[in-house]
Amino acid sequence: MVTKSEEDQLNRLESQVDNGGGGEWEYLCLVRKLKVRRPDKVLKHGLAILNDFKKRSALGTEDWTLCEQVAIAAMDCQCLDVAKDCIKVLRKRFPDSKRVGRLEGMLLEAKGLWAEAEKAYSSFLEDNPFDQVIHKRRVAVAKAQGNISTAIECLNKYLDTFMADNDAWRELAEIYVSLQMYKQAAFCYEELILSQPTNPLYHIAYADVLYTNGGIENLQAAKKYYASAINLTGGKNQRALFGVCLCTSAIGQLSKGRNKDDKESPELQALAVAALEKDYKQGAPDKLPLLTSTLKSLRVSS
Amino acid sequence: MAEDLVLDTAIRDWVLIPLSVVMVLIGVLRYFVSKLMRSSQNPDAKLVKEGQVIVRARNLRAAANFIPPKSFRARRFYYSNEENGLLFVPKGQAQNAQAQMFSDPNMAMDMMKKNLSMIIPQTLTFAWVNFFFSGFVAAKIPFPLTQRFRGMLQNGIDLSTVDVSYVSSRSWYFLNLFGLRGLFSLILGEENATDDTQRMMQMTGFGFDPSKSLGAEKDGLDIVQHDWTMPKFERRAESVLRKLVR
Repeated sequence: MVTKSEEDQLNRLESQVDNGGGGEWEYLCLVRKLKVRRPDKVLKHGLAILNDFKKRSALGTEDWTLCEQVAIAAMDCQCLDVAKDCIKVLRKRFPDSKRVGRLEGMLLEAKGLWAEAEKAYSSFLEDNPFDQVIHKRRVAVAKAQGNISTAIECLNKYLDTFMADNDAWRELAEIYVSLQMYKQAAFCYEELILSQPTNPLYHIAYADVLYTNGGIENLQAAKKYYASAINLTGGKNQRALFGVCLCTSAIGQLSKGRNKDDKESPELQALAVAALEKDYKQGAPDKLPLLTSTLKSLRVSS
Repeated sequence: MAEDLVLDTAIRDWVLIPLSVVMVLIGVLRYFVSKLMRSSQNPDAKLVKEGQVIVRARNLRAAANFIPPKSFRARRFYYSNEENGLLFVPKGQAQNAQAQMFSDPNMAMDMMKKNLSMIIPQTLTFAWVNFFFSGFVAAKIPFPLTQRFRGMLQNGIDLSTVDVSYVSSRSWYFLNLFGLRGLFSLILGEENATDDTQRMMQMTGFGFDPSKSLGAEKDGLDIVQHDWTMPKFERRAESVLRKLVR
């Protein structure tokens, strides 16, 4: 997860670099460290450095890392000839490298030659069955072909061995949500919450899935998780506030006539509504009437 | 009782400092040699999986209160049930881990290499110190010691009336051996093969015994009492919002 200070630094460097103020190498290093995806900027500035002999020799041995970064960015922007050149140069320098082999596989993927890419990756996996990145590339190939079930199968097999990999769990959860398999998605989000219990995003995602799944128990649990997200973000996260309102009204609807057990948090919805109104007044005052009418309709039905 | 021996400054110049310098150089040499000789380890499938299982089980134990009780119970059952729980290791297998480690040729070779790279330089340096630097008083320890240390610290000095604080160069060698660890981690970075004391401690508690750690995780998991914190969070969220709205 990228922290706020790192995000600020990245934005600052980005604006500096865009306005021609220098500091491109710093920017590229930061992008690499934080693993953010900015292919157009990386391509533009990275190529500028690589083509300028003086700047390139100033980097010393780091220019190969830059070459790899530019190759990946070029594939992202579909500039396949740039990518091919970079990879050719890298292959000449490192003839037996698995890392370069992986880049070649990615180039095959970018060209749309799925079968060849799959073959290349399988041969890599035979040599070293523990290469996590190659496993993930295979899942990406399956997903890009639209073969979601194969992707799920591969990902599950991967997670069978490498079960501490958070990114893989996230990917699996998103795939399940896209297929509307909400119970499985809930399981994945639970894994994520277990590994990082103080991350509000996972709580909100889990609550979303529970709410969508429906049923009074799930709704009550969803409300609790939205509340914990409010707790973790100090009440600033609007999605959690909206979630609380929706959950309370949905619970009210489902348990109409039955003994409502609002003893847990009777004021939570009212407070959430007040907080939302305050936020909208500050942030988007022209949308405030829209908000109040929506919330009123929610409250009426509860 | 304690006569003050005046020690020649030449001792400091020609014994203490060269000995330290030589030990530092030998340490650096060993670091580079070990880097050259390090063979890439192919991770064993079972070990990798077990490592990851342990991380996951540990996460479950630590954050158990954040997931609903039903999910927690389902996971606990998944990990520790009798037939095919992830953490469950039948008794017979537990003994084999150690024997397996000895018989596995790759691992035995690796261990031998590491041992050799530690023992040989130590032995050679020790012999060198004894040969060249014995038979005289090298330094004075600033604090008084009892007579029992005499045999250890004064090996070449055969006078029994000399105060135990006056030691021979052998003790300076041992002092350097344990003391230069900090210096090495400064100049060579964190991971260096000269960390003898750490390695010695590691050898006494032998190797990565996965079955024991699995068993420990399973016991820890069985003990955990699930106390769902979410209801508490609801109330706390109320107070947070109340403060915000005011």
